[in-house]
Amino acid sequence: MKLDRRSFLRKSAVAGAAFAAAPYVRAAAPGRKFRTALIGCGWWGKNILKEAMASGRCQTAALADVDATTLEVAADQVNGLSGDTPKTYKDYRELLAREKPDIVIIATPDHWHALNTIAAVSAGAHVFVEKPTGHTVNESRAMLKAVRDSGRVAQIGLHRRIGPHHVSGMQFLKSGAVGEVGMVRVFAHGGGDVEKPSLNEAPPDGMDWDFWCGPAPLRPFNKRIHPGGWRNYLDYANGQLGDWGVHWLDQVMWWSGDAPLKRVFCAGGRPVRGVPVLNTKEQTSDAPDHQVATYEFEKFTCVWEHRRFADNNSEKHKIGAYFYGTKGVLHLGWRDGWTFYPTAKSAKIEHENPQLQEPDGHNLALLWADFMESIDQRRAPVAGIELAHRATVLPLLGMVSWRVGRSLAWDAATERVIGDPEANQLLSRPYREPWIYPSA
Amino acid sequence: MRFKHSLLRLGLRSGMVLLTVLCAAAPAADWPQWRGPGRTGISIEKGWLDQWPAAGPAIAWRAAVGLGASSFVVGDGRVFTMGHADGQDTVFCFEAVSGKPIWKHSYPAELGDKFFEGGTTGTPTLDGGRLYALSRWGDAFCFEAATGKIIWSVNVQKETGCPVPDWGFTGAPLVLAGRLILNVGEAGLALDKATGKLLWKSADKNAGYSTPLPVELDGRVLVLLGSSKSYLAVNPVDGKEAWRAPWVTEYGVNAADPIVSGGKMFVSTGYGKGAALFALGAGAPEEVWRARAFRTQLNAAVLHDGHLYGVDGDTTSIGGIKCLEFATGTEKWAHKDFRTGALSMADGRLIALSGTGTLMIAPASPTGFSPTASAKILDGKCWAAPVLANGLIYCRNTSGNVVVIDVRKK
Repeated sequence: MKLDRRSFLRKSAVAGAAFAAAPYVRAAAPGRKFRTALIGCGWWGKNILKEAMASGRCQTAALADVDATTLEVAADQVNGLSGDTPKTYKDYRELLAREKPDIVIIATPDHWHALNTIAAVSAGAHVFVEKPTGHTVNESRAMLKAVRDSGRVAQIGLHRRIGPHHVSGMQFLKSGAVGEVGMVRVFAHGGGDVEKPSLNEAPPDGMDWDFWCGPAPLRPFNKRIHPGGWRNYLDYANGQLGDWGVHWLDQVMWWSGDAPLKRVFCAGGRPVRGVPVLNTKEQTSDAPDHQVATYEFEKFTCVWEHRRFADNNSEKHKIGAYFYGTKGVLHLGWRDGWTFYPTAKSAKIEHENPQLQEPDGHNLALLWADFMESIDQRRAPVAGIELAHRATVLPLLGMVSWRVGRSLAWDAATERVIGDPEANQLLSRPYREPWIYPSA
Repeated sequence: MRFKHSLLRLGLRSGMVLLTVLCAAAPAADWPQWRGPGRTGISIEKGWLDQWPAAGPAIAWRAAVGLGASSFVVGDGRVFTMGHADGQDTVFCFEAVSGKPIWKHSYPAELGDKFFEGGTTGTPTLDGGRLYALSRWGDAFCFEAATGKIIWSVNVQKETGCPVPDWGFTGAPLVLAGRLILNVGEAGLALDKATGKLLWKSADKNAGYSTPLPVELDGRVLVLLGSSKSYLAVNPVDGKEAWRAPWVTEYGVNAADPIVSGGKMFVSTGYGKGAALFALGAGAPEEVWRARAFRTQLNAAVLHDGHLYGVDGDTTSIGGIKCLEFATGTEKWAHKDFRTGALSMADGRLIALSGTGTLMIAPASPTGFSPTASAKILDGKCWAAPVLANGLIYCRNTSGNVVVIDVRKK
């Protein structure tokens, strides 16, 4: 039954590809909606699921989360928004086995992306997974292989690949209006101060904290970690470089046509936040409060900078990318759109406003529509696993360089550090039992 | 008559169920506690100006009190609020009419800027010449209201080991029959109001963010609390739980106080949860209706002539004021683009401060929202309800700018 339907869809998709004006071939089956599941029902996962519901093409079949309260809240919100009554699961593996969803949205913390994604595509689902792809390089490679092997569509949450001002900014760059670009600076700055440890405590009632930590180390529960704060804990994510860095480094990949990285060096630390604390009583986060990473490519140099102190009121922009060309500087930003500052005094500053979905300032609706269309047409999505993997490798290598304290020569073809066994070791990490590190 | 009728319609037994919100004794137009003298968000004050010249209302005074969403209490010619700056919270006392500082007390406190700017979120309580305050981190104080002298202070979090909910303790202290009841722990705790000594506590689980609300039910006084996963009732004498209505809101943010009228309890929270009316009796509350599109995330609505007026929407949404029929949950009107401001009421008029600082006066009517006066009085975010007391409307934003509007008839 399932195979029949899928082979039917494949045929339909081939036909659909011939009719660019009618992309939604699968929806043409009357009343047939994608059985959609969400793994990780926090703030961002629900944001993505809302786009699925708003598309009118998805039925929320099931939800998975390790926190029973989070599940209850999400199921209630889904019911309020769509009338669907999704089944709820603590274990995503059980959800995949029982529900056989067509689409799985994955919005767990970074350390879960690989296992969730590989299991979902192996179960035959198309996947929408949040950026960055993996927590370590070889996880990302394993995800790439699993998606390729499955023939399923995987869209990664790099919505800046489709955000209107990013598209037009990229056109502006490629038109030659900025001239020859020799350097790019990507950055995300904000304010911040010393970090005091906060008390560990029992996990919330109904939450399986051990499962939440999963393959990553089991830290004592702390409200600073969950919800939301895990981005600043290196066991579960890669700080500002992994979170924001991947968006802007991906823009550099987009502009450069996937230029192969040659070398990276990253410095940084926690001089302001303070030395990380972790004991049975209390803890702080441990991500660097600032980092500078220099990425060397054949034809240009790219510098990443983030600071979580001092803010950045001395400059016009606090986040984004500066493309430095012979004709001027293009700033590609977030809520500030893009702005071109020409070299010639006679030339005028050019600017375009962003078109974002508020309150969170993203373009998930467009990214979701592209995901639907790519499933219909069996084409690569705009933020597919191939390019998202390449973009994710950059911040992850920055983190490896920062950990070993030296520059890394990178072989982009084999995805290995040249002549540095210690650094290559850090392209993977040990998993906590019983979880097994995925192989590429 | 109407009260009895509605009970009969619900098929409740004729046993005399009497449910009223207990009113604190207060001089005519003071506002000594959170949500005012009747804990309803409604002032008993009449005869104030509901219009002002095109140039804007008269401003009595201004002050800066630091970061926070703490509201005001007013009594005996003094006004009190709280704010945060440079690693400490401060409790402020000003002359109510002139704004002249009388006293202040600072204590070390974390900023607590989790998904917002941080700062104080609770409001102190004035009772019998004393001012009671609770910080987000559990510091409870009893001050001599006139002087700021500390009568006692205790950190109830450290004393009981109760967890601090994600955004800290927020409910204002309730003074009731010699006790100070705080929304700390799963179902509150009580201190001896004279000494700060712990009288009873509840399970070491997360509190919600509402202010303890005293009600009389069937001759019995109960205190209603928004807890992390329910709205529940406890006996203020011993803390014993009487009943609970399960109510799971995202992040445990059961913040808006329940509203009790005619044997029913209205509950409304944000994050898409919405509102419900429960019938209260001897057993567990029974749901009468549910309305998803009325979501009071921070501040409770006001109930006037059978209609609820409140702010619908989360701090991250455009928010709006809505009017809902209490008996049925039917939406009567919606005034959009208010952001998550807050409102109070007096003499049949809504006093509404938008989330972006526009103060509006409008008759509370189920037919629509038609302001008789409107003025932009603050910038930034305004989350604290405007407080009318003795002809002055006290307003603030979250960065701590206080503006006091003079609406006294000359």
